[in-house]
Amino acid sequence: MNIDTSRRSFLKFLPLAAVFASIGGAAFRFLRPKLSAATDAWLDVASVSELSGPQPISRKIVAEQITGWAITTEEHNVFVLPAKNNQVVSAICPHEGCEVAWEQNKNRFSCPCHESFFAADGSRISGPARRGLDELPARVQDGKLQVQYISKEQATHA
Amino acid sequence: MRSDNDMRAWLQTTTGIVAVLLLVQFLTGVLLAFYYVPSVDHAYTTVSYIEKVVSSGSWLRALHHYGSQWLSVFIFLHVIRLFWTEAYATNRIQWIAGILILGLVMAAGGTGYSLPWDARAFFSTRVAEGLMAGLPGAGSLARLWLLGGSEISPVTLSRFFALHVLVVPALIAAVVVWRMFRAQIAELFTTRDAIVGGLVFLALALWAWKNPAPLGPSVAEAGADYLPRPGSQFLWLYQSLKYIPGGLGSVVGVVLPGIVLVVLIALPWLKQQRLIAGSLLGIGVVLIVMMTTVSYLSDHRDPQTAKQLAQQAAQEQAWRRQPFQPATITIAPAATASAGGGPPAMYTKFCAQCHGSNGQGAQQGPLKFPPLLDVSTKPRRSVDDIVGLLKDPPAYGLQPPMRSFSGKLSEDQMREIAEWIVKLKK
Repeated sequence: MNIDTSRRSFLKFLPLAAVFASIGGAAFRFLRPKLSAATDAWLDVASVSELSGPQPISRKIVAEQITGWAITTEEHNVFVLPAKNNQVVSAICPHEGCEVAWEQNKNRFSCPCHESFFAADGSRISGPARRGLDELPARVQDGKLQVQYISKEQATHA
Repeated sequence: MRSDNDMRAWLQTTTGIVAVLLLVQFLTGVLLAFYYVPSVDHAYTTVSYIEKVVSSGSWLRALHHYGSQWLSVFIFLHVIRLFWTEAYATNRIQWIAGILILGLVMAAGGTGYSLPWDARAFFSTRVAEGLMAGLPGAGSLARLWLLGGSEISPVTLSRFFALHVLVVPALIAAVVVWRMFRAQIAELFTTRDAIVGGLVFLALALWAWKNPAPLGPSVAEAGADYLPRPGSQFLWLYQSLKYIPGGLGSVVGVVLPGIVLVVLIALPWLKQQRLIAGSLLGIGVVLIVMMTTVSYLSDHRDPQTAKQLAQQAAQEQAWRRQPFQPATITIAPAATASAGGGPPAMYTKFCAQCHGSNGQGAQQGPLKFPPLLDVSTKPRRSVDDIVGLLKDPPAYGLQPPMRSFSGKLSEDQMREIAEWIVKLKK
């Protein structure tokens, strides 16, 4: 009698379990994140001729990314370092992803969020960031400095 | 005698089927909401994305789509079963809950049809608008409240979305919980219920696997000859509206079903219960079966309609084979990037998907879309040429997928696009 009851109650929930299992299995595939594909286009930063001096130069680039169902066009700040052979660094702080600003009077980059500081060549001075500002792949084409925009993971998670 | 009772018990398992189908609707609905965006410029794109790109997306959406139709049928059969067993007299809560869920399931279906924002959805929203507008007395007010304004607009889609995913499901859940609290679960959901519910789910899962949920052309791309057809649970209403002049449609489509539901809910307190419910449900069954059949037959018998519907089906098949076209979103407008002003709005709407947001070209699967940069240095690409080309691509040696925009863009809009394009430089 008891065995019969328990078998019955098991039978009863088997179909429900099947519903949850099949939709749940599909849900796992359905919700799986898709890595966004950066378009590897070379983006104009500036003419090489206008880049000179010891100070980092702030420029804006517009990068396209294919993320999920959209191509997003986003503006990003980068810094050109003329003193370092026109190396281009991202303005994204490698700590938690805020945007650093150049402090001319103190000759350093500072992050407004958690007080990470970086030298004029992008290297880390102090603060919670664990590495210097991220360098972006750059090239010179027809007198123009170009970069590929690649967003890096933050150092805290890396 | 025993087999007779057994037979009857199996026929009374509609509770289990309805419970399983409701569960399927809730689960798949929650999942679809992870990608769907209720805005007129992204709804269609996100539904296409679910259909074409996301793993299992097409199956889950088909489960939700066909599940809603199956649910309508089984909740109706459930009500008939409750009538048969005289639940209105012996178990009032069960009866009232059944009727309420019937009404709410139809409301969920009605609001859900608008969400993909394809041509079909647009027409179904139009019909909902018309049904509201025709209501005696409060018509214009009801229409304004449904649309959230004087026209179908982005606000309208948000309203249908909120009703479909928040209000109606919450009401259904409330009714189900109320019903469950007042009954022993064991009595409510027997082993037979579980078995039959499981079998129906299996059938639905296989059906959804074989048949993807329909998605018509986007509103912008639907031709004037597009024939919209509602889901099968609304075919009876769709067909009935063909025979009813003007505002009377609202009476038949909204007022009468509303009165029927109210009377059925109040049935436990009425006299002549069996007569009233029997005739209402009887008329309902006859009307629904007859009108659905007539609708099906007339679509198949009229050669012109049949041809157009077959063509639409073929176009949908062709659309499914095309690669997904992502939307273009500008998160921060770039003041420095495009000196001389950004692209015209109509360029972004119609051209950017293939030619890139700033004319840089694109590649989608095997299709290569040429960049438009420096295009003015090529022969026959002046402003006037580009306007002419937008009207008649073959005349300028262009082949599909480049198509004519004669019906979509005005002369001024084409000129604005052309004047912007000739300035594009590498």
